[in-house]
Amino acid sequence: MTAAPERHDTGSRRVPAPVARVAAHETAEVTFVVNGTETTVEVPPRAHLGDVLRERLGLTGTHLGCEHGVCGMCTVLLDGEAARACLLFAVQCEGAEIVTVEGLGSPDDQHPLQQAFSAHHALQCGFCTPGMLMSSYDLLANEPETAEEDLPEAMSGVLCRCTGYRGILAAVSDVAGTYPDGVPEPRGCAPRMLVGRSAASRPGDAPEDTAAAAPQLSEVRLPSGPPSAVVDVTSQLTSPVDRVWAVLTDFDLLARCLPGAQLVESYDEDRHRGRATVALGPVKLSFEGLAQVVERDPDTHRLRFHGQGKDTGGSATSADVVLAATPTADGGTELTAHADVHLSGRVAQFGRALAGDVSRRLFEQFAAGVDEAAETGSVSEVSLARRLRLAAGAARDAAVGALRRTAHRVRDRIRHGNA
Amino acid sequence: MKAAPFAYVRPPTLDDVLAELGGGDGKVLAGGQSLVPVLAMRLGRPATLVDVTAVPELTEYGPDARSGYRVAAAVRQRVVEHDPAARDVPLIAMAMPFVGHRELRSRGTVCGSLAHADPAAELPAVACCLDAQVEVSGPGGARTVPAKEFVTGAMTTAAGPEDVVTAVTFPAARPGDGFGFAEIARRHGDFALAGVVCRVQVADSGAVRSAVLTGFGISDRAVTRDVTALLATGESEEDLRPATTELAAALVDTGGDTHGSTGYRRRLFAVLAARELSRALRRAREGRTTA
Repeated sequence: MTAAPERHDTGSRRVPAPVARVAAHETAEVTFVVNGTETTVEVPPRAHLGDVLRERLGLTGTHLGCEHGVCGMCTVLLDGEAARACLLFAVQCEGAEIVTVEGLGSPDDQHPLQQAFSAHHALQCGFCTPGMLMSSYDLLANEPETAEEDLPEAMSGVLCRCTGYRGILAAVSDVAGTYPDGVPEPRGCAPRMLVGRSAASRPGDAPEDTAAAAPQLSEVRLPSGPPSAVVDVTSQLTSPVDRVWAVLTDFDLLARCLPGAQLVESYDEDRHRGRATVALGPVKLSFEGLAQVVERDPDTHRLRFHGQGKDTGGSATSADVVLAATPTADGGTELTAHADVHLSGRVAQFGRALAGDVSRRLFEQFAAGVDEAAETGSVSEVSLARRLRLAAGAARDAAVGALRRTAHRVRDRIRHGNA
Repeated sequence: MKAAPFAYVRPPTLDDVLAELGGGDGKVLAGGQSLVPVLAMRLGRPATLVDVTAVPELTEYGPDARSGYRVAAAVRQRVVEHDPAARDVPLIAMAMPFVGHRELRSRGTVCGSLAHADPAAELPAVACCLDAQVEVSGPGGARTVPAKEFVTGAMTTAAGPEDVVTAVTFPAARPGDGFGFAEIARRHGDFALAGVVCRVQVADSGAVRSAVLTGFGISDRAVTRDVTALLATGESEEDLRPATTELAAALVDTGGDTHGSTGYRRRLFAVLAARELSRALRRAREGRTTA
């Protein structure tokens, strides 16, 4: 990631490559780097970058206010310089490097500017905050010589309607003082999963007739950022370990153990294309994706695979899954599942807790399916139906749990507020 | 606030740009910082946006052989703002901080400001005051138009719908030059309620050789006057005020709006003109051009 601009060698100098005419109602493929990850989106000419970031890539940290360049809510870094995402059409951004507030820092590793905004109470409703952060990053990175008394004018490109600006200016001034030669680089720009396609799968790179060929290894890329949820499930199965291992190595059977999953095509022993539906009350997501076995150890009965899937509605998931079967004293098997689950797009808005709860219940049902398959050699439709009902139960439990947690938080807040 | 559908093309050469503009239903897109809001509000619905930023010769900027500073069409305002060579034209550095905001200057272009020709914009006023030369290419070939003739009215220029502004050359400062720039806006970065740009040239003796004043935000375009005679009425702001007040009555003809009446703008113009002419004269005599 080269998000940090070189001082004064400004990104506004970048000369883009020519683009052939795209008709008004056609779409164009545009490839750019967002927060360190190259991504390709297919967009009509009139789609502005703000909409594409939010609607297509699930990066809703970039806010939209006026959508005609006045308010500054949508400010992002384009080639290292602040720019209005609403005044840029995505087709203009081919080859550009974009950093949004999600790339500035993460909840667990905030950028110094984010820490300062927090410390100085530089946000109240939070609506302008992403714009303020990206604008102030640009200022301190590219024009660190700006005098303190010039800060109000230098920061006038983004409007705030609630804090009164004092805290914002104090935060920016604080960081400017701590880093007189320019602020540290954005911290959240590790390769991560975006909803848009990776450049590796661009049609046109390969002849049409190979489009259905085996996916390239690079297609199943795991994001390296923190997972949305970590699942650790241990299940006691009655079947002996050899039979459990036989199920784990039969991907067709294995897929059927997971409620809602369906194997569409196997390219070879280790690479598979599949479909998975997840229904949570009114929420119905249908993921199409790839799974790739990356480790298969018959001695320790350990299977590791990477999966990634995308929903047509703008959600994406990927997971790093390790399944391990261990014989138990009673002749049964202990099946452990560890999964780092990454969610992006709309599904990510469920929050980590709900995602974790649902994932955990799915794995518990998966283990039950493996047990049945190990015993009988197949997974019955009846038990599938039963398990789908279970899945609905899991959703309900998870939703109730989430509500309870929210209620706790609200109560905590009220308590603290009264204290 | 979504633009109506349009076709998009980013041609590799100027000839291709002109070919795409042929027919007259296209619009040049460089930085888009004035155009895109117009599209978003659907005040304009061009059939095609012709992005000129991939044409190599339109990305050039720097000192020009004819002792000026030349900026081609795809060059962003912020690039010019940070280019040390642009200091040859002190008014660029004086005006640039007032052109929109940093976030807009990173995309907006100098030539785009001229081509858009907002009556209250800073860069067209600077171009008019300095007698900058605007290069325009069209179906009939390339031509060079003085800035004062280029801007023909509010958001109207000598460039037709099939033309593209390719570059502008600002004359460099000469010894004995002094400059002034000021504007009053409701908020920093907004278009000016009234603004002035001036250039005063003095002889070695300190006598005023020439003085040019351009007002912006006060009429349907930037208005430029030779004010050499006016400077004979005095040197201080106070001494110049009666003459600039008279000038304001003649030049300021914009209608009033919620932000300020015509009378208020006249007063702003008179005060700013007197102040900046006085400053520019002092700078010219002290050999400091700007500070």
